[in-house]
Amino acid sequence: MKKYIFIFSTALAFHNIDAQVGQPYIHDPSTIAECDGKYYTFGTGGGGLISDDGGWTWHGGAERPGGGAAPDVVKIGDRYLVAYSATGGGLGGGHYGRILTMWNKTLDPKSPDFKYTTPVEVALSDGVEDCDAIDAGLLYDPDQNRLWVSYGTYFGNIRMVELDPATGKLLEGCKPIDIAIDCEATDLLYREGWYYLLGTHGTCCDGVNSTYNIVVGRSKSVEGPYIDNVGRDMKQGGGKMVVATGDRAVGAGHFGRFIVDDGVEVMSCHWEADFYQGGRSVLAIMPLLWKNDWPKAGEKIKAGVYEIQSERRGYALEIATDFVRIPQERRMWWRLDPNEKVDTLKLQQLSDVEQGWSKGDLPVRLSDFMFRPNQKWRIEPVEGKGGYLGNPYFKITIDGTDRTLTAADNLEVIATEDFAGDDTQLWRIEQAIDGTYRIMPKRLPGESADNTRYVLYSIGDSSPVLKEWDFSTDNAKWNIVKHDF
Amino acid sequence: MNRKTFLPILLFPLAAIAQNPIIHNQFCADPTARVFNGRLYLYPSHDINPPQPLPQGVREDWFCMEDYHVFSSDNLVDWTDHGVILNQKDVPWGNPGAYSMWAPDCVERNGKYYFYYPDAPKEGRGFSIGVAIADKPEGPFTPVASNIEGVNGIDPCVLLASDGNAYLFWGPGLCAKLKDNMTEIADDTPTETFKFGEREFTMRGVNCLKGLPNRQAEGPFAFEYNGNYYLTYPYVRENTEVLGYAMSKNPMGPYEYKGLIMAEHPNGCWTNHHSIVNFKGQWYIFYHQNDYSPENDKRRSVRIEKLAFNADGTIQEVKPTLRGVGIVNALSRIEVDRYAEGSSDLKLNFMDEGDKFQGWEVNFPAKTSWLSFTDVDFSALQNGYVTANVKADKNTKFFIREKSAKGKVIAEFNVVCVTEGQFRRDYSGQWLTVTAPVKYCPKGISDIYITTQDGGLSIDYVQFKNHESYFNPSTSASIAPDAEGFIRRWFILEPIAKDIRSNTDFTDTYLKNAFHDTEYRKIFDVVPTDGKKVKFQKQSLTWHKLDATRYNMKLFRFAETYGTKLYGVLFSGITVIKCDEEIKNVRLSAGSNAASSWYLNGEEILLLQGDRRMVKDDCVSGLVTLKKGINILSVSVINGPGMSDFCARFIDENGNAVTNYNIE
Repeated sequence: MKKYIFIFSTALAFHNIDAQVGQPYIHDPSTIAECDGKYYTFGTGGGGLISDDGGWTWHGGAERPGGGAAPDVVKIGDRYLVAYSATGGGLGGGHYGRILTMWNKTLDPKSPDFKYTTPVEVALSDGVEDCDAIDAGLLYDPDQNRLWVSYGTYFGNIRMVELDPATGKLLEGCKPIDIAIDCEATDLLYREGWYYLLGTHGTCCDGVNSTYNIVVGRSKSVEGPYIDNVGRDMKQGGGKMVVATGDRAVGAGHFGRFIVDDGVEVMSCHWEADFYQGGRSVLAIMPLLWKNDWPKAGEKIKAGVYEIQSERRGYALEIATDFVRIPQERRMWWRLDPNEKVDTLKLQQLSDVEQGWSKGDLPVRLSDFMFRPNQKWRIEPVEGKGGYLGNPYFKITIDGTDRTLTAADNLEVIATEDFAGDDTQLWRIEQAIDGTYRIMPKRLPGESADNTRYVLYSIGDSSPVLKEWDFSTDNAKWNIVKHDF
Repeated sequence: MNRKTFLPILLFPLAAIAQNPIIHNQFCADPTARVFNGRLYLYPSHDINPPQPLPQGVREDWFCMEDYHVFSSDNLVDWTDHGVILNQKDVPWGNPGAYSMWAPDCVERNGKYYFYYPDAPKEGRGFSIGVAIADKPEGPFTPVASNIEGVNGIDPCVLLASDGNAYLFWGPGLCAKLKDNMTEIADDTPTETFKFGEREFTMRGVNCLKGLPNRQAEGPFAFEYNGNYYLTYPYVRENTEVLGYAMSKNPMGPYEYKGLIMAEHPNGCWTNHHSIVNFKGQWYIFYHQNDYSPENDKRRSVRIEKLAFNADGTIQEVKPTLRGVGIVNALSRIEVDRYAEGSSDLKLNFMDEGDKFQGWEVNFPAKTSWLSFTDVDFSALQNGYVTANVKADKNTKFFIREKSAKGKVIAEFNVVCVTEGQFRRDYSGQWLTVTAPVKYCPKGISDIYITTQDGGLSIDYVQFKNHESYFNPSTSASIAPDAEGFIRRWFILEPIAKDIRSNTDFTDTYLKNAFHDTEYRKIFDVVPTDGKKVKFQKQSLTWHKLDATRYNMKLFRFAETYGTKLYGVLFSGITVIKCDEEIKNVRLSAGSNAASSWYLNGEEILLLQGDRRMVKDDCVSGLVTLKKGINILSVSVINGPGMSDFCARFIDENGNAVTNYNIE
């Protein structure tokens, strides 16, 4: 029993550092937009959040006039287009919704260029028909230079119209198309020949009792039909789950996709209630995976002890120490009595081998995974060091020691004997869209800027180095594997 | 010269707009309207704001025209933009950077369409006139290599006279006979001497306006009607242009001046330029004004009015209006700022000063303010309501009436800008969509009037709409399930009011208490008939036998139509399934918003608990048997907030729809 209590309190202690911390209080967050190295998301009610310390902590301060519900933002050329609804949405506003769009050259309220254009109406609902024109979701396709907006709530149908990407206005002669029923907070996205419609089902705005969840259908045509994984049209209520609950948080709503890099994506949404944060509605950012061309929320890395396994060969990352044999009584297996009781053998312990490890820096290599102490990596977020979109920075140490995975000169990796808190010892760990991870040092030795290119990389089956991120090769990918150590 | 063939690559249906101006997404001027094959084609010139930086020789404050579009319509309401038919860069003899594609014309002869247009020549000064030829009115047009030899000037117009000849009119009222090839003027065309101020010119052609009021005359438009030839033209009477006309018994005159067709534009727009056409038995004049560009009268827009003749063949003077012509379908946006008549205090404002093509709003300053809008066609309005885009400073009312400002009220709008209470909203000064029921629906085509309770209100448009049809009374003896197996015929009981806080209340226990209640179950004891009343607690409720128009039964709309309460309601439904043979091992597959319970032949077979959206195949029963003969399927659906509906079908062991039965 004591053991479980310990695990629980550990999880609690680490949770706050795992989260998007600061004051991430928001409902219906827009797709996250980057502007001059800062991140912005707009929510229901008027304002929004800014993250300006490298993407980890959030605070209020984003500005959007017009109030109303569930805005969205997309960057087109060198301008940002914001869509929102001032009216509609029920609750005294009736269902007389209208989608408005406006431009801004910057999202930074402190910039002299910060000025929204006069909003223009691109869609409306009259309050009687099967639609409530709020909850805009923008999709811009730069290849075709086309722009669409989906909108609507549980009050009838989800609709879509095409906009002119040069003006943000309704495309001349365009009529709304019904693409789903019974959703809220929809978003459209395009990937590799498929259009996706993401919608939110379940109960909104009921705190810890909210069952909000994000579902998806896909189509080869932007106009639909959007079909789910069992062939059901979203106009008949279809939808495949993308995410419902998270790490002790419920009520996923209002999907947004953010492409971090080739093969690395995150999704944003809100939790209706995060139990760790007083049951408030907060911003959530988690990896976005693509499995069989379906989007699925991935796993944020949690503090713990893991094998770090190469996707290239399946070898495990280890510090270079002598292979110490585990003593075992050798018996001829064909002479063993099958009825004899068997014992659990102990794994090799750190205390069994540590005295033989050299002082100072040790090389790091890849080898057969054998549950050995020199292969047991403790991955822990580091407080006070900031982070990146979706995660804090982590230190990676051999469990029970301070031997720390460190970016070294000449794009090598080593394990230093101590953790000094240096930026070369902080690691960015992100889940790629195929479920593997990329592991990237915050900074390379001698560099003054943060590293966003070089990742832990299998240059040979047994030899890790730092090399440019390349999603097309397994050399750049890792699995973070939990074992019963 | 194939590369000079222009394919119309764009085809834009423009939003229906029957009012003036008629083209609302671009400037266009000097409209020549022609009827080909029963359809009206419009060949205007195309004003643009000059490119920046200004090309050499182009002035910011002067006309700037680089190409031509052609538009067409068969009702003068719905217009199609066929796109660019000729660009200045593609005129073989023209200066490709002159932006001088002024007023054109187009006529049909022997199956070919001849498009006449002025342009600045590559060499020299002034204007020449060229021809482009097509097999269809909308092109593609192929320009003839050289301009019409001997013709200098602008504004061509071709008259196909009943004497069998084609006459080209242009410039200040000159005329020459065209050869049969339509691209050259007759060899015997005389030469005339002209005076412009102190300067003298010699030009070929007969000056048909010699001795008539002709100061700065241009844009001649000639036509023939009832044995008379009419030469109509803009000229300057005092300071800006009027449209005048002269008549003759011969195409080339002599013409006798008869008076004005249209006086100076009251807003000071310097030019006017027109054409006159008979379309479907009615005469119309097409002309222009600078509606979308009040600050610069070189950016103009085309308008239309009706035109009438007196018995002696003279033309009745035409007053420009905002309303223009055309019958407006009540189901389209009625831009009431384009009113026919109104009180003198009405104010017009652009919806968006930065994009004037978004049109206008009309402001009613006082409670005595009013306007009328003529020729609204109500014949497509049945079970209707009306919406409007309005802006007000406080909660107020306005009215749509028929035929006069004191006429019968068609609809009464409550404009609620401010709502009090927990979710207080203040939308004063913001555009709002408001709706009102249609109290009285005029028959056929009628005129509407708008009056207000207090004034202080602006209206962008009003639009009538038909309610969507979700179900109809059952009339046939029986129907089959639809192709997906959905049961679309149900007796639905008017909803029972329930006090429901949240849809998450619908636990299994809650639902058993609600659905299994002995008194409530008595509702299902007897198969009802349409219109049969039952009593439950103190409510008197009626059964309605309905066929759904889609796979699901929209209970929210049912409550809207027949109930007294939309949210916090318990619905009850029964359907009668008749099987010719026993159907074994099937499952009921249902979805509902929110929770529901399903009984087959008196036995509960399915319960959908909790807060649910309606999803096809959400919950599926265990295996059941539909017996030979009559089976009774009943459903109870309970809902708090939100729109309630359900769908149900039977599926076989492989998940395929069961359809081999009838619904009585």
